[in-house]
Amino acid sequence: MKKSAIAALALLAAAAPALSQNVKPENQIKFRRAAYTIMNLNFSNLDAMVENKKPFNKEEAIRNADIVSLLSSIPKSYFGEGTDKDTRAKPEIWTHRADFDAKMDKMVSEAGKLPAAARSGDMAALKKQIADTDAACKACHDDYRAKQR
Amino acid sequence: MTAAPARIRVWDLPTRIFHWTLAALVVFSFTTGKIGGGWMSWHLKSGYAILALLLFRLAWGVVGSSTSRFTGFLRGPVAFFRYAAGLVPKRHRPVIGHNPMGGWMVLFLLLILLAQAGSGLFSDDEIATQGPLAEKVSNAVVAKMSSFHDFNGWIIAVAAGVHVLVIAYYVFGLKDNLVKPMWSGWRAVDAGVEQPPMRAAWLAAILLALAAAGVYWLVVVYPKG
Repeated sequence: MKKSAIAALALLAAAAPALSQNVKPENQIKFRRAAYTIMNLNFSNLDAMVENKKPFNKEEAIRNADIVSLLSSIPKSYFGEGTDKDTRAKPEIWTHRADFDAKMDKMVSEAGKLPAAARSGDMAALKKQIADTDAACKACHDDYRAKQR
Repeated sequence: MTAAPARIRVWDLPTRIFHWTLAALVVFSFTTGKIGGGWMSWHLKSGYAILALLLFRLAWGVVGSSTSRFTGFLRGPVAFFRYAAGLVPKRHRPVIGHNPMGGWMVLFLLLILLAQAGSGLFSDDEIATQGPLAEKVSNAVVAKMSSFHDFNGWIIAVAAGVHVLVIAYYVFGLKDNLVKPMWSGWRAVDAGVEQPPMRAAWLAAILLALAAAGVYWLVVVYPKG
Protein backbone atom coordinates (compact mmCIF):
# COMPACT_ATOMS: atom_id res chain seq x y z
CA MET A 1 0.00 0.00 0.00
CA LYS A 2 2.69 2.45 1.09
CA LYS A 3 4.98 1.25 -1.69
CA SER A 4 2.29 1.68 -4.31
CA ALA A 5 1.46 5.18 -3.05
CA ILE A 6 5.10 6.14 -3.34
CA ALA A 7 5.28 4.55 -6.78
CA ALA A 8 2.27 6.63 -7.82
CA LEU A 9 3.99 9.75 -6.54
CA ALA A 10 7.09 8.82 -8.52
CA LEU A 11 4.97 8.46 -11.63
CA LEU A 12 3.32 11.81 -10.99
CA ALA A 13 6.70 13.46 -10.45
CA ALA A 14 8.05 11.94 -13.64
CA ALA A 15 4.98 13.01 -15.59
CA ALA A 16 4.96 16.56 -14.24
CA PRO A 17 7.12 18.27 -16.90
CA ALA A 18 5.06 16.93 -19.75
CA LEU A 19 1.73 17.65 -18.05
CA SER A 20 2.43 21.28 -17.32
CA GLN A 21 2.32 22.20 -21.01
CA ASN A 22 -1.45 22.01 -21.15
CA VAL A 23 -2.39 23.08 -17.66
CA LYS A 24 -4.19 26.38 -17.19
CA PRO A 25 -2.49 28.89 -14.81
CA GLU A 26 -5.10 28.42 -12.09
CA ASN A 27 -4.39 24.70 -11.94
CA GLN A 28 -0.63 25.16 -12.16
CA ILE A 29 -0.87 27.21 -8.96
CA LYS A 30 -3.12 24.56 -7.43
CA PHE A 31 -0.70 21.73 -8.27
CA ARG A 32 2.48 23.41 -7.10
CA ARG A 33 0.77 24.39 -3.85
CA ALA A 34 -0.43 20.82 -3.35
CA ALA A 35 3.10 19.53 -3.81
CA TYR A 36 4.57 22.14 -1.46
CA THR A 37 1.90 21.44 1.16
CA ILE A 38 2.63 17.72 1.27
CA MET A 39 6.39 18.42 1.24
CA ASN A 40 5.96 20.83 4.16
CA LEU A 41 3.97 18.24 6.12
CA ASN A 42 6.52 15.48 5.61
CA PHE A 43 9.60 17.63 5.96
CA SER A 44 8.28 19.14 9.22
CA ASN A 45 7.58 15.67 10.60
CA LEU A 46 11.05 14.47 9.62
CA ASP A 47 12.64 17.54 11.22
CA ALA A 48 10.56 17.14 14.40
CA MET A 49 11.81 13.56 14.81
CA VAL A 50 15.44 14.50 14.25
CA GLU A 51 15.10 17.41 16.69
CA ASN A 52 13.64 15.08 19.33
CA LYS A 53 10.32 16.91 19.37
CA LYS A 54 8.78 13.48 18.86
CA PRO A 55 10.17 9.93 18.99
CA PHE A 56 12.36 8.94 16.05
CA ASN A 57 10.94 6.20 13.86
CA LYS A 58 13.18 5.10 11.02
CA GLU A 59 10.40 3.77 8.78
CA GLU A 60 8.48 6.99 9.18
CA ALA A 61 11.63 9.01 8.48
CA ILE A 62 12.28 7.07 5.29
CA ARG A 63 8.70 7.59 4.12
CA ASN A 64 8.93 11.34 4.88
CA ALA A 65 12.26 11.59 3.05
CA ASP A 66 10.98 9.66 0.02
CA ILE A 67 7.89 11.82 -0.31
CA VAL A 68 9.80 15.10 0.01
CA SER A 69 12.37 13.90 -2.50
CA LEU A 70 9.79 12.73 -5.03
CA LEU A 71 7.55 15.78 -4.77
CA SER A 72 10.45 18.23 -4.89
CA SER A 73 10.66 18.04 -8.67
CA ILE A 74 6.97 18.85 -9.23
CA PRO A 75 6.67 22.61 -8.47
CA LYS A 76 9.27 23.67 -11.00
CA SER A 77 7.01 22.62 -13.86
CA TYR A 78 4.12 24.73 -12.63
CA PHE A 79 5.59 28.22 -12.61
CA GLY A 80 4.50 28.94 -16.18
CA GLU A 81 3.58 32.31 -17.67
CA GLY A 82 0.47 33.86 -16.13
CA THR A 83 0.78 32.00 -12.83
CA ASP A 84 1.67 35.17 -10.90
CA LYS A 85 -1.91 36.16 -9.97
CA ASP A 86 -3.55 35.38 -6.62
CA THR A 87 -0.37 33.84 -5.32
CA ARG A 88 2.52 34.73 -3.05
CA ALA A 89 4.91 33.90 -5.87
CA LYS A 90 6.70 37.18 -6.63
CA PRO A 91 6.86 38.63 -10.17
CA GLU A 92 10.67 38.49 -9.85
CA ILE A 93 10.46 34.76 -10.61
CA TRP A 94 9.71 35.58 -14.24
CA THR A 95 12.20 38.43 -14.49
CA HIS A 96 15.03 36.47 -12.82
CA ARG A 97 14.16 33.09 -14.21
CA ALA A 98 17.71 31.72 -14.40
CA ASP A 99 18.38 32.46 -10.74
CA PHE A 100 14.98 31.12 -9.70
CA ASP A 101 15.58 27.91 -11.65
CA ALA A 102 19.05 27.51 -10.15
CA LYS A 103 17.65 27.83 -6.64
CA MET A 104 14.82 25.46 -7.47
CA ASP A 105 17.29 22.91 -8.87
CA LYS A 106 19.43 23.26 -5.76
CA MET A 107 16.39 22.44 -3.60
CA VAL A 108 15.52 19.42 -5.75
CA SER A 109 19.11 18.23 -5.54
CA GLU A 110 19.30 18.59 -1.74
CA ALA A 111 15.88 16.99 -1.22
CA GLY A 112 17.05 14.16 -3.48
CA LYS A 113 19.73 13.25 -0.95
CA LEU A 114 17.22 12.86 1.90
CA PRO A 115 16.16 9.25 1.17
CA ALA A 116 19.72 7.92 1.32
CA ALA A 117 20.43 9.94 4.48
CA ALA A 118 17.26 8.60 6.14
CA ARG A 119 18.24 5.03 5.26
CA SER A 120 21.87 5.38 6.34
CA GLY A 121 21.07 5.22 10.05
CA ASP A 122 23.58 8.04 10.51
CA MET A 123 21.65 10.65 12.49
CA ALA A 124 24.29 13.34 12.06
CA ALA A 125 24.24 12.86 8.29
CA LEU A 126 20.44 13.00 8.20
CA LYS A 127 20.41 16.10 10.36
CA LYS A 128 22.90 17.80 8.07
CA GLN A 129 20.93 16.86 4.95
CA ILE A 130 17.75 18.23 6.50
CA ALA A 131 19.58 21.47 7.31
CA ASP A 132 20.92 21.78 3.76
CA THR A 133 17.49 21.11 2.28
CA ASP A 134 15.89 23.59 4.67
CA ALA A 135 18.42 26.25 3.63
CA ALA A 136 17.75 25.52 -0.05
CA CYS A 137 13.99 26.02 0.51
CA LYS A 138 14.62 29.25 2.40
CA ALA A 139 16.90 30.67 -0.31
CA CYS A 140 13.97 30.71 -2.72
CA HIS A 141 11.38 31.86 -0.17
CA ASP A 142 13.58 34.82 0.81
CA ASP A 143 13.80 36.12 -2.75
CA TYR A 144 10.73 34.87 -4.57
CA ARG A 145 7.93 34.38 -2.08
CA ALA A 146 5.91 37.20 -0.53
CA LYS A 147 5.57 37.24 3.25
CA GLN A 148 2.56 35.77 5.00
CA ARG A 149 -0.27 38.20 5.64
CA MET B 1 36.78 71.81 49.79
CA THR B 2 35.63 69.18 47.29
CA ALA B 3 34.55 65.80 48.52
CA ALA B 4 36.62 62.77 47.51
CA PRO B 5 34.99 60.70 44.76
CA ALA B 6 33.39 57.48 45.92
CA ARG B 7 31.65 54.62 44.21
CA ILE B 8 28.33 52.91 44.67
CA ARG B 9 26.79 49.71 43.44
CA VAL B 10 24.33 50.91 40.81
CA TRP B 11 23.39 47.61 39.12
CA ASP B 12 22.93 44.37 41.01
CA LEU B 13 24.39 41.13 39.65
CA PRO B 14 21.06 39.70 38.39
CA THR B 15 20.33 42.82 36.32
CA ARG B 16 23.82 42.74 34.81
CA ILE B 17 23.69 39.04 33.97
CA PHE B 18 20.22 39.61 32.50
CA HIS B 19 21.43 42.51 30.36
CA TRP B 20 24.48 40.87 28.79
CA THR B 21 22.87 37.46 28.34
CA LEU B 22 19.88 39.11 26.69
CA ALA B 23 22.12 41.18 24.40
CA ALA B 24 24.05 38.09 23.30
CA LEU B 25 20.89 36.02 22.77
CA VAL B 26 19.17 38.78 20.77
CA VAL B 27 22.13 38.97 18.38
CA PHE B 28 22.20 35.17 18.20
CA SER B 29 18.45 34.93 17.57
CA PHE B 30 18.48 37.56 14.84
CA THR B 31 21.41 35.90 13.08
CA THR B 32 20.11 32.33 13.30
CA GLY B 33 16.67 33.46 12.14
CA LYS B 34 18.15 35.07 9.05
CA ILE B 35 20.47 32.15 8.24
CA GLY B 36 17.78 29.54 8.88
CA GLY B 37 18.45 25.95 7.80
CA GLY B 38 20.04 23.90 10.56
CA TRP B 39 20.15 26.93 12.86
CA MET B 40 16.38 27.07 13.30
CA SER B 41 16.37 24.63 16.23
CA TRP B 42 18.84 26.93 17.99
CA HIS B 43 16.74 29.94 17.04
CA LEU B 44 13.81 28.41 18.92
CA LYS B 45 15.88 27.48 21.98
CA SER B 46 17.36 30.96 22.09
CA GLY B 47 13.85 32.41 21.93
CA TYR B 48 12.73 30.29 24.88
CA ALA B 49 15.72 31.48 26.90
CA ILE B 50 14.92 35.10 26.00
CA LEU B 51 11.30 34.62 27.05
CA ALA B 52 12.40 33.27 30.44
CA LEU B 53 14.83 36.18 30.88
CA LEU B 54 12.11 38.71 30.03
CA LEU B 55 9.63 37.19 32.47
CA PHE B 56 12.32 37.31 35.12
CA ARG B 57 13.07 40.96 34.32
CA LEU B 58 9.41 41.93 34.57
CA ALA B 59 9.26 40.35 38.03
CA TRP B 60 12.58 41.95 38.99
CA GLY B 61 11.12 45.28 37.86
CA VAL B 62 8.55 44.91 40.62
CA VAL B 63 10.41 43.24 43.49
CA GLY B 64 14.08 43.73 42.52
CA SER B 65 16.71 46.25 43.57
CA SER B 66 15.60 49.88 43.58
CA THR B 67 17.54 50.80 40.40
CA SER B 68 15.85 47.94 38.52
CA ARG B 69 12.28 48.77 39.53
CA PHE B 70 9.84 50.21 37.01
CA THR B 71 8.32 52.57 39.57
CA GLY B 72 11.78 54.01 40.13
CA PHE B 73 12.80 54.65 36.55
CA LEU B 74 9.56 55.33 34.64
CA ARG B 75 9.25 59.09 35.03
CA GLY B 76 6.73 61.66 33.84
CA PRO B 77 6.99 64.06 30.89
CA VAL B 78 8.44 66.93 32.95
CA ALA B 79 11.41 64.86 34.12
CA PHE B 80 11.72 63.41 30.62
CA PHE B 81 12.02 66.75 28.82
CA ARG B 82 14.11 68.42 31.50
CA TYR B 83 16.59 65.56 31.26
CA ALA B 84 16.51 65.65 27.45
CA ALA B 85 17.35 69.35 27.46
CA GLY B 86 20.49 68.63 29.46
CA LEU B 87 21.83 66.00 27.08
CA VAL B 88 24.67 68.13 25.71
CA PRO B 89 28.36 68.05 26.67
CA LYS B 90 29.13 69.98 29.89
CA ARG B 91 25.46 70.40 30.79
CA HIS B 92 24.91 66.67 31.19
CA ARG B 93 24.33 65.52 34.75
CA PRO B 94 24.80 61.79 35.34
CA VAL B 95 21.92 59.86 36.88
CA ILE B 96 22.12 56.89 39.23
CA GLY B 97 20.28 54.03 37.52
CA HIS B 98 18.10 54.44 34.44
CA ASN B 99 17.64 58.10 33.48
CA PRO B 100 14.18 59.59 32.72
CA MET B 101 14.59 58.96 28.97
CA GLY B 102 16.47 55.68 29.13
CA GLY B 103 13.87 54.20 31.46
CA TRP B 104 11.23 54.40 28.74
CA MET B 105 13.65 52.87 26.25
CA VAL B 106 14.14 49.97 28.68
CA LEU B 107 10.38 49.42 28.81
CA PHE B 108 10.08 49.73 25.02
CA LEU B 109 12.87 47.20 24.44
CA LEU B 110 11.36 44.77 26.94
CA LEU B 111 7.95 45.04 25.29
CA ILE B 112 9.09 44.57 21.69
CA LEU B 113 11.25 41.62 22.76
CA LEU B 114 8.34 40.10 24.67
CA ALA B 115 6.14 40.53 21.59
CA GLN B 116 8.86 38.89 19.50
CA ALA B 117 9.30 35.88 21.77
CA GLY B 118 5.54 35.57 22.17
CA SER B 119 4.74 35.75 18.45
CA GLY B 120 7.51 33.24 17.71
CA LEU B 121 5.64 30.63 19.73
CA PHE B 122 2.79 30.81 17.18
CA SER B 123 4.89 31.24 14.02
CA ASP B 124 5.47 28.88 11.12
CA ASP B 125 8.30 29.31 8.59
CA GLU B 126 6.47 27.05 6.11
CA ILE B 127 9.56 24.90 5.63
CA ALA B 128 10.19 22.61 8.59
CA THR B 129 9.86 24.77 11.69
CA GLN B 130 6.78 25.66 13.70
CA GLY B 131 6.57 27.43 17.02
CA PRO B 132 5.40 25.12 19.82
CA LEU B 133 1.95 26.72 19.97
CA ALA B 134 1.28 27.03 16.22
CA GLU B 135 -0.90 23.90 16.29
CA LYS B 136 -3.03 25.42 19.04
CA VAL B 137 -4.44 28.32 17.02
CA SER B 138 -6.00 28.87 13.58
CA ASN B 139 -3.79 29.32 10.52
CA ALA B 140 -5.08 32.87 10.17
CA VAL B 141 -3.51 33.62 13.55
CA VAL B 142 -0.32 31.72 12.60
CA ALA B 143 0.01 33.82 9.43
CA LYS B 144 -0.47 37.05 11.39
CA MET B 145 2.03 35.98 14.04
CA SER B 146 4.61 34.85 11.48
CA SER B 147 4.29 38.09 9.56
CA PHE B 148 4.58 40.15 12.73
CA HIS B 149 7.54 38.07 13.95
CA ASP B 150 9.38 38.79 10.72
CA PHE B 151 8.62 42.53 10.74
CA ASN B 152 9.20 43.04 14.47
CA GLY B 153 12.63 41.43 14.15
CA TRP B 154 13.70 44.46 12.11
CA ILE B 155 12.13 46.85 14.64
CA ILE B 156 14.26 45.18 17.30
CA ALA B 157 17.38 45.42 15.15
CA VAL B 158 16.81 49.17 14.67
CA ALA B 159 15.97 49.74 18.36
CA ALA B 160 19.07 47.82 19.45
CA GLY B 161 21.13 49.86 17.00
CA VAL B 162 19.72 53.12 18.40
CA HIS B 163 20.44 51.86 21.93
CA VAL B 164 24.08 51.19 21.08
CA LEU B 165 24.48 54.55 19.30
CA VAL B 166 23.02 56.45 22.24
CA ILE B 167 25.32 54.64 24.67
CA ALA B 168 28.23 55.53 22.37
CA TYR B 169 27.13 59.20 22.50
CA TYR B 170 27.17 59.03 26.32
CA VAL B 171 30.67 57.54 26.34
CA PHE B 172 32.30 59.72 23.69
CA GLY B 173 30.07 62.81 23.55
CA LEU B 174 28.99 63.24 27.17
CA LYS B 175 32.06 61.54 28.69
CA ASP B 176 29.74 59.42 30.81
CA ASN B 177 30.70 55.76 30.50
CA LEU B 178 27.54 53.73 31.08
CA VAL B 179 29.03 50.48 29.82
CA LYS B 180 31.45 49.99 32.71
CA PRO B 181 28.78 50.16 35.44
CA MET B 182 26.57 47.75 33.51
CA TRP B 183 29.53 45.38 33.42
CA SER B 184 31.02 45.78 36.92
CA GLY B 185 28.01 47.15 38.79
CA TRP B 186 30.05 50.08 40.19
CA ARG B 187 29.64 53.73 39.32
CA ALA B 188 31.87 56.55 40.49
CA VAL B 189 29.92 59.23 42.35
CA ASP B 190 30.60 62.26 44.50
CA ALA B 191 30.98 61.52 48.19
CA GLY B 192 27.70 61.65 50.03
CA VAL B 193 25.65 60.04 47.30
CA GLU B 194 23.69 57.31 48.99
CA GLN B 195 23.95 53.66 48.03
CA PRO B 196 20.57 52.56 46.59
CA PRO B 197 19.21 49.50 48.39
CA MET B 198 20.01 46.23 46.61
CA ARG B 199 18.10 42.96 46.73
CA ALA B 200 19.77 39.63 47.43
CA ALA B 201 20.77 37.65 44.33
CA TRP B 202 19.15 34.46 45.64
CA LEU B 203 15.72 36.04 45.19
CA ALA B 204 16.59 36.65 41.54
CA ALA B 205 17.74 33.04 41.18
CA ILE B 206 14.38 31.82 42.45
CA LEU B 207 12.47 34.15 40.13
CA LEU B 208 14.56 33.09 37.14
CA ALA B 209 14.01 29.43 37.98
CA LEU B 210 10.26 30.04 38.17
CA ALA B 211 10.31 31.89 34.84
CA ALA B 212 12.30 29.07 33.22
CA ALA B 213 9.90 26.46 34.61
CA GLY B 214 6.95 28.44 33.27
CA VAL B 215 8.49 28.67 29.80
CA TYR B 216 9.37 24.96 29.85
CA TRP B 217 5.75 24.17 30.62
CA LEU B 218 4.55 26.48 27.84
CA VAL B 219 6.83 25.18 25.08
CA VAL B 220 7.33 21.51 26.03
CA VAL B 221 4.62 20.25 28.37
CA TYR B 222 1.51 22.15 27.24
CA PRO B 223 1.92 21.56 23.44
CA LYS B 224 1.89 17.78 24.02
CA GLY B 225 -1.33 17.92 25.98
